[in-house]
Amino acid sequence: MNTRGTGTRRFDIWTLVTLGGFALVLIFLIYPLADVFQYSFTDKETGALSLANWAEFLSRKYYLKAFIHSMFVAVSTTGLCLLFGIPLAFFTTRYRIRGSALLNTVAVLALLSPPFIGAYSWVTMLGRNGFLRVALASAGIDLPPIYGPIGIILADSLQYFPFVSLMTAGALTTIDRSLEEASENLGASSARTFFRVTLPLVLPSVTGGALISFMMSLSNFGTPMIIGGNYLVLPTLAYNLFTSEIAERPGMASTVSLILMLCATGVIALQQWASSRRKYASMLVNRPVRKSLSGAASCLAHLVCYAIVGLAALPLAVVVFFSFRNTNGPVFTPGFSLESYRMIFFDVPKTVANSFLYSLVAVVLIALVGTLLGFIVARRRTMAVKVLDPLLMVPYIVPGTVLGIGYIVAFNRKPFFLVGTATIMIMTYFIRRLPYSVRSAASILKQIDPALEEAGINLGSAPGRTFRTVTLPLMKAGIVSGAIMSWVTSMNELSASILLYVGRTMTMPIKVYLSVLDGFFGTASAMSTILLAVTGIALYLVNRWAGKSGTSAVVAS
Amino acid sequence: MTNIRIVDLEKRFGDVKALADVNVSVGKGEFFTLLGPSGCGKTTLLRIIAGFYRQEKGEVWLGDERVDDVPAHRRDTGMVFQNYAVFPHMTVFENVAYGLRVRKLPKADIERRVAASLRTVHLEGYEKRTPDQLSGGQQQRVGLARAMVIEPRVLLFDEPLSNLDAKLRVEMRDEIRAVQKQLGITTVYVTHDQEEALVISDRIAVVSGGRIQQVGAPWDVYKDPANLFVASFVGKVNLLDAELGAQAGPGLRWAKAGALELMVPAPADFAGTAVKIAFRPEDAFEDLDAGTRNTLNGRVEGSSFLGTVASIDIDCAGTRLVIERHRPRAGDIPAPGAETHFALAPEALMLFDAATGARLRSAGGEA
Repeated sequence: MNTRGTGTRRFDIWTLVTLGGFALVLIFLIYPLADVFQYSFTDKETGALSLANWAEFLSRKYYLKAFIHSMFVAVSTTGLCLLFGIPLAFFTTRYRIRGSALLNTVAVLALLSPPFIGAYSWVTMLGRNGFLRVALASAGIDLPPIYGPIGIILADSLQYFPFVSLMTAGALTTIDRSLEEASENLGASSARTFFRVTLPLVLPSVTGGALISFMMSLSNFGTPMIIGGNYLVLPTLAYNLFTSEIAERPGMASTVSLILMLCATGVIALQQWASSRRKYASMLVNRPVRKSLSGAASCLAHLVCYAIVGLAALPLAVVVFFSFRNTNGPVFTPGFSLESYRMIFFDVPKTVANSFLYSLVAVVLIALVGTLLGFIVARRRTMAVKVLDPLLMVPYIVPGTVLGIGYIVAFNRKPFFLVGTATIMIMTYFIRRLPYSVRSAASILKQIDPALEEAGINLGSAPGRTFRTVTLPLMKAGIVSGAIMSWVTSMNELSASILLYVGRTMTMPIKVYLSVLDGFFGTASAMSTILLAVTGIALYLVNRWAGKSGTSAVVAS
Repeated sequence: MTNIRIVDLEKRFGDVKALADVNVSVGKGEFFTLLGPSGCGKTTLLRIIAGFYRQEKGEVWLGDERVDDVPAHRRDTGMVFQNYAVFPHMTVFENVAYGLRVRKLPKADIERRVAASLRTVHLEGYEKRTPDQLSGGQQQRVGLARAMVIEPRVLLFDEPLSNLDAKLRVEMRDEIRAVQKQLGITTVYVTHDQEEALVISDRIAVVSGGRIQQVGAPWDVYKDPANLFVASFVGKVNLLDAELGAQAGPGLRWAKAGALELMVPAPADFAGTAVKIAFRPEDAFEDLDAGTRNTLNGRVEGSSFLGTVASIDIDCAGTRLVIERHRPRAGDIPAPGAETHFALAPEALMLFDAATGARLRSAGGEA
């Protein structure tokens, strides 16, 4: 019966969870974001309601340019993601490509790597003193330094194209082979079949991947900060406006934040619309098979796949390589050593410890709270839960920079003095990751028959005990792999925490960022390598734990 | 043993009235079935008894206790689910022991009772298996063992056989019936399968549109349906729109259904003339001797052979009717196009008010 669970209810443990959810959203989301709104719409001097900030944004070229830059970067990135992602997906799912599992793993690793490693690595290669650029210059090829839009787009697209490739590949493997065979049987060439049958069928997934890439690129802070040079985009503009020592403009920063959120909301709305418009029920009778290619065609397919993934892996490899190079302060010297690692562990052990401590505490909270809230979202559709559900999704459209600004403003006064504490770092990780955790718990629950819980209750087990003895054990695998993913993203968080840290609460991504700014590439490389290794291990664990579904969980989140 | 009483019950889902005016009384140890098409409210009623839904109006009594505000986990009902709901992360033993552990029984008692319960459902030796190693029928046996091992006040079955294949369904049906009689636990059983309901039940409540249409023993529900819905839902029936006419004999009247003229039992209290006549295919006879019978001639349209029965479609002066020939011998089944005839006793014809569907009983009482 589809009416399951709509009966009149009594007060139980889930009522408490619902109330807790509201409290959480109110304090850590609505309250700080309300401040962002308030700053944006009030006059700094008089405190009166005012549209001055918005008028200024719309009238000054400096601000409008950042908006145009953001759009240009995001659109170009998305285009490149499609260009890289679709062929890779098509070739690896439809043809036998040697080492396609490895290609996939590397692509996911690139996707999950800290959001600025790519940027920083390209700087070491093609920056002002980049080794590649210097080498090319001595060979007579003069490249301009990579700072600016080209650099951002390059780094972003090489990180985010796996969204497109993985989602498209997922769709390509669930198309019934008979459909393509029917097309060929009716006389269409394979090219015509691809463009008229296959592509339209996977289009919803392609669009989905493209929109996520767009959104990630739009709200990315670390990459434009490191490789953008003077080329300001909305997140870096907001950051500068907020932290600038000369003329701090919180009102303007808030306005830029809101515009960023508005764009993100638009993208989400577009995604919702796109995914609802075209949904093909798949009756998977005949799975598609991988064809063998031979000769030139095979060479070409391999070349394309390896070139795309190789390009994505290159910055990661460079970072790892440089982490083992000898350094003398900011300068790399010939030979290899563990000097950079020694520096980290002797000079900034607290930073490493902080990163692990904060992310682990956050993950425990995320898994716990996400599971409980996921349960009410999936199982208890009361009026209150129906209101709470979309609120829980809000962090999804709040770029890290915006959340950071909101937190600084809201938690630096009575009753919450939290700025500079470990608590606020943990809460930031927690809130940013919560939507994914709630969604994933809810979707796991949707695959668990509610009758199992009813059986537990019917046999005399109270709702809390039933959840513990029946529901939770069945959710365990999903929760653990979700938690590992949350751990990775928390370890690599930069855009919000960069605004909220103090010396005591420095984390690895922040240290990497600062080291890059100061030119200490050795430290940055070693720190990045550690983050990368953690990401790799986590990925391995997820695959061990959840098998193939682990990878799809990555894409889904 | 516990009896169940449901008084003036009403249940809504939003604006939709799922149940209305439900008054049911299930006796101690009785096997009581809720029979009806999908969406009729039978499962809703079962879930209200189990405590998964709260009714808007009315009372639910288990024995002397009014349980309206007793949460589901304290109702002490044992439910068997349509899709088994066997805990996939537990072994067969752990599944069956679940309710006993909740009740904090000593370990030795748990082991003894689980073993006895598994023996009852013929699953001894399966204790250590996990559900994914069991067939659908075996999983449902685990579900049954798990529900009955706690010796609940009432057993509740929510279409427990609908996911099993036809042969297993019959086997399990008989087993459920046997176990229930052996334990004597008051049972409410939900099904949409009228044959299953007829075979398994002490009494049946036919449910449609959220209302109880008729409560009675299988014989009564089949032979003496209270209204048109019950007549057509339980068993097969031929339906004819007809106008009542003149007196045809003592207690009989003529009825005109299209081109057919039939003698029907005269209804006792009925002022109108528009009726529906219903008769069951098996009530048509071959022999035409007795003069008090309706004789119908027609042309055979088609037939199907079902083993013990042959079902024959006949066009009688423009009205298409289905009759059955039992234990058909070679040559009994006429070829399409052949002329045939059959007889209907007036007592075999049931009359219903064409407007309300209510049964029009004759003055003489039961047919």
